[in-house]
Amino acid sequence: MNHFDEMTSLLYLEGQLDNDHAQEVRSHSSACPECRSLLHALQTESVWLRASLEADDESVPARLMQAPRRGSTPWGWASAFALGAGGAYTAWSGFIEPWRAQAAQAGFTQGSILTMLFFSSAFWKGWDAMRSLTEFLAVATLGMVVIWLLRRHLRRMTRMSTVGVVMGAVVCAVALSPSAGAAEIKHGDPNYTLASGEVIHTDLIVSADSTRIDGDVDGDLITFSRSVTVNGHIKGDVISFSQELRVNGPVDGNVRAFVQSLQLNDLIGHNLMAWAEEVNLGEKAKVNGTITVGSEHLELNGTVAGDLLAFSGDVELNGSLGHDARIRAGQLSIGSGAVIAGHTQAQVRRQPDVSSSAKMGGFDWTYTKHMSDTGYSSPRLYWHQALKWGASFVFGMVLLFLAPGFFFDGANACKRVAPAIGFGALFLFALPIAAFIVCLTVVGIGVGISAFLLWMIAIYASQVLVAAWLGERLLGAGPGVGAALGRLALGLLILRAIRLLPFLGGLICFVVILWGMGAVILAIYKHMRPQLTQAAV
Amino acid sequence: MERRKTTGDMSAAELADVLTQVRAGDSEAWGELYGLYAPAIFRFCRRALHTREDAEDATMEIFMKVRQKLGTYDSTRPFTAWLYKLASNHCWDLLRRRRVRQVLETGDLETLPLEHPDPSQLVKLQIDQDSKHVRAGLAKLPDRARMALVLRYFSEMSYDEIADTLGVRRAFVGVLLLRARHQLRDVLGESAGGGSSARSRGAVAEGKA
Repeated sequence: MNHFDEMTSLLYLEGQLDNDHAQEVRSHSSACPECRSLLHALQTESVWLRASLEADDESVPARLMQAPRRGSTPWGWASAFALGAGGAYTAWSGFIEPWRAQAAQAGFTQGSILTMLFFSSAFWKGWDAMRSLTEFLAVATLGMVVIWLLRRHLRRMTRMSTVGVVMGAVVCAVALSPSAGAAEIKHGDPNYTLASGEVIHTDLIVSADSTRIDGDVDGDLITFSRSVTVNGHIKGDVISFSQELRVNGPVDGNVRAFVQSLQLNDLIGHNLMAWAEEVNLGEKAKVNGTITVGSEHLELNGTVAGDLLAFSGDVELNGSLGHDARIRAGQLSIGSGAVIAGHTQAQVRRQPDVSSSAKMGGFDWTYTKHMSDTGYSSPRLYWHQALKWGASFVFGMVLLFLAPGFFFDGANACKRVAPAIGFGALFLFALPIAAFIVCLTVVGIGVGISAFLLWMIAIYASQVLVAAWLGERLLGAGPGVGAALGRLALGLLILRAIRLLPFLGGLICFVVILWGMGAVILAIYKHMRPQLTQAAV
Repeated sequence: MERRKTTGDMSAAELADVLTQVRAGDSEAWGELYGLYAPAIFRFCRRALHTREDAEDATMEIFMKVRQKLGTYDSTRPFTAWLYKLASNHCWDLLRRRRVRQVLETGDLETLPLEHPDPSQLVKLQIDQDSKHVRAGLAKLPDRARMALVLRYFSEMSYDEIADTLGVRRAFVGVLLLRARHQLRDVLGESAGGGSSARSRGAVAEGKA
């Protein structure tokens, strides 16, 4: 006798068979102990499944005790929005606007705002007031994040999670920065002088009104000062944020200067990188590596062993260069004493003034292209836009394949427009400030730089998530990789087209960054939460 | 089949009254309705989704949807049926979005032949495993299998409703449930030491009489 299969038995028990069929099963099973026993086992399995699923051994979370109210404003994102807006205003009025004004005065009216950030002495002006405000903002932000991540665990007063400990440590590192460094840190009162004959055997970090280094430093010299004069021997790098920097002694490492005026008169063992209003390499100056300069005025009378890359208002070359020179300037003059072993390539606004006695390996120059060349009628503009679209699409595709959960959570988080923009505003402004301050603690340089890099990646990812959301709004949600990629492609195309709009495009682009950045944060938070819970158990 | 009771002592008339007040914008009635159903919906989400946090978020989102869509609820039909339909659609939607990879990985599973179970082993498995283990095993199942079991044996949904929610043909629901049961038996059998799987090795489904 043939028995019933398990499928038929299950459908019979679930009441899914028609009458004739069910009758057949009934009469067979009454005569067949084997099928009866299978029916019995499946029946008890159903009961067992129901009982197991119904068993209620898990409490309802406290968060769900209160009904969500329509139009309620969660304190978290409201304060995040307010703090973000405060940060944005501070950043704009305190940093960007003075820089922009200064840069405009210096003739840099067509560059991007980010480029302008580096061309200024305003870096120093009002720094003390700005520092205390930014420190407060950054510490408040980090504190908020820690409380936000640990709110449930704090309530239960359980053990701190690993992430909490790390974040807490970062906050402590910021708060206790002066004593935490592995370097010697000096605060001027108001001036600082390292006397001749004195030697600092480690890195030296100085913040003072006027700094004078006559002694030697075995490590790096990092200065935050109005005026810095280095006469001693620096065995590491010189990193300076100041109004005026004069290097009259030898430096074995690199010189990296963010200053208004830079004067070099001695040997630099490696490279020179300077963002300044005025850069002057005296006749005695010798740079063994390369020079990268962004300045209003560059005068080079000394010797450079490597290449020169300069973005400048005007450039005067009178010294010697061991390799090639690439120059973009308003005005270029190459004097009679200039010796350039390699090839010189220049993009200038006015015809360069080249002395007939200058020795050059090769020279070609062009006029700087005008803005109209990249106008709407130029096919180049559309080609560039297509390339950028392709790059962002590839980025989105990689994100989708490597982290589909994050991708979809991020796109989903875009639906929560107000919280996303609120958190986006907060993190867009506060994170780089926090990263910068963490960098100042020296021990936190790694954390700060990683945070800054992640911040930049998040800015790029923001458009991808918003595009995914936009595509879903237009094409509807459907499962599968192909559909998700199609939605992403359409969303990115629309965002790119919007960017071409004059004025409004930039504004919308900014909102997209805020919005997407917030979505990134919300998605990261969602992914971190299970780990936090596990860590606390 | 009787649907899960979640209304405590509230009568149908009282519930209808509360629903009318909620529709009229009464926040107190809304709180009452939420308090009545939120625990059950959380428990449903907890069984359908992967983590407790996902379940919490989903519960909140479902109730936001309830508030938005209450106008579309047909009061001649049971409220719990409507609510569970909304909840299961929401959860399935969440799971489906994350399934991009799983679809590729588990696509062949549906066509694998099933081994005939040994009833005595099956009963032994039921005795050995308590509800906690069963739910832990359930969490290890593929999304669709887990969802099918939860919709059927927790939400007490009909085959038609399950087919509608999961987007499959009605005739396929039985297959889905049976395969899900097999997968759960295997998972629990393995976790119990590998030897106590409810399969009768080598046995083959013998076909209908």
